[in-house]
Amino acid sequence: MNVHYDEQQLDALRELASIGSGNAATALAQMLGRSVELQVPRALALPLADALDAVGEPDAMTASVVMQVGGDAEIVVLLLFSYPGAASLCELLGVEPRSELGDSALGEIGNILGASAVGALAQMTGLALEPQPPQVLYDMLGAVVASVLSATVGELDLALVLDAELDVEGAACGLSFLLLPTAGGVDELLGRLGLGAEGASGQ
Amino acid sequence: MGELAVSAAAEDELVSMGLGSCVGVALVDRERGIAGLAHVMLPEANAAYSAPAKFADRAVPALLASTERLGARRERTVAVLAGGAQMFAGNGRTAGVAGLDLGARNEAAVRTALAEAGIPVRAAATGGDRGRTVRVCVGDARVTVKEAGGEEQSLWHPAAPADDLVEIS
Repeated sequence: MNVHYDEQQLDALRELASIGSGNAATALAQMLGRSVELQVPRALALPLADALDAVGEPDAMTASVVMQVGGDAEIVVLLLFSYPGAASLCELLGVEPRSELGDSALGEIGNILGASAVGALAQMTGLALEPQPPQVLYDMLGAVVASVLSATVGELDLALVLDAELDVEGAACGLSFLLLPTAGGVDELLGRLGLGAEGASGQ
Repeated sequence: MGELAVSAAAEDELVSMGLGSCVGVALVDRERGIAGLAHVMLPEANAAYSAPAKFADRAVPALLASTERLGARRERTVAVLAGGAQMFAGNGRTAGVAGLDLGARNEAAVRTALAEAGIPVRAAATGGDRGRTVRVCVGDARVTVKEAGGEEQSLWHPAAPADDLVEIS
């Protein structure tokens, strides 16, 4: 299967990533009572092997929150933290890192950030999107990201990575916020924006 | 990810880092000092495709052909597997993304393809829910595996008796 996204489509996806992660940043700021800076969101269309490299070192131990989104478009929302980043975020929230409560707090952050980003996408596109309960993992970055990409875009040679960095003011707990739609999910998003069909031949 | 590599150079090391649901398939002909490693992402190809190493049903024949081109003999070649974990809860049966957990299906497809090629699996560190990194030392034909958060451990080496099947999970 050959997939190609043209510049106009990537611009539109970048805009979606920007609005989605902007909403996520606002939600995180409200939750923490601190300002959260959003680094320029990217929409990258990359060969699969490069997509993994773009996210980080494959065997780096990483704390992640995975949220699957079903409904009209399938998307995986991924929050990635360094171990120290996850720990300082837990401390900001007054819970013990790597405890049941700490994991539950990270999951809740994933829930709130994911739901606000997905809610914004749903509002922009008119798609019905259904976030599922989040899962917290402590594992190798590559194992988490490659497993998600295998299931979402494994059959294509192209991964669409929508990501942004969120930096919390006065605390070393930045996180990467990724939206990884399936190829069908990208088609749905683009279709609703009037940019579907001819450019992206996902099927 | 979705790639394969082969080598006959003793100083080379073939590595697949951060295998989750993906399966690292190592083929070793210890007598000739030839090894190959493929990073399989999906059980089977559903269309003509340019990157055979991604799919178990194509990766195994492609990897075998590549080691044979370097001079490996099929009847001496053995396989060592790592990966195929179930990273995510829900097994794809939730309302989320279908088929998010491919680990067990990947491993089964790799084993089927190896059986069809007549290649025995001598050691495997598969299943579970942790990521793994697998390394194949071409020179001494040793295979090691490191599980997320764990220590690197020996998975297979040439001195292992041929009928000694190693399973780490």
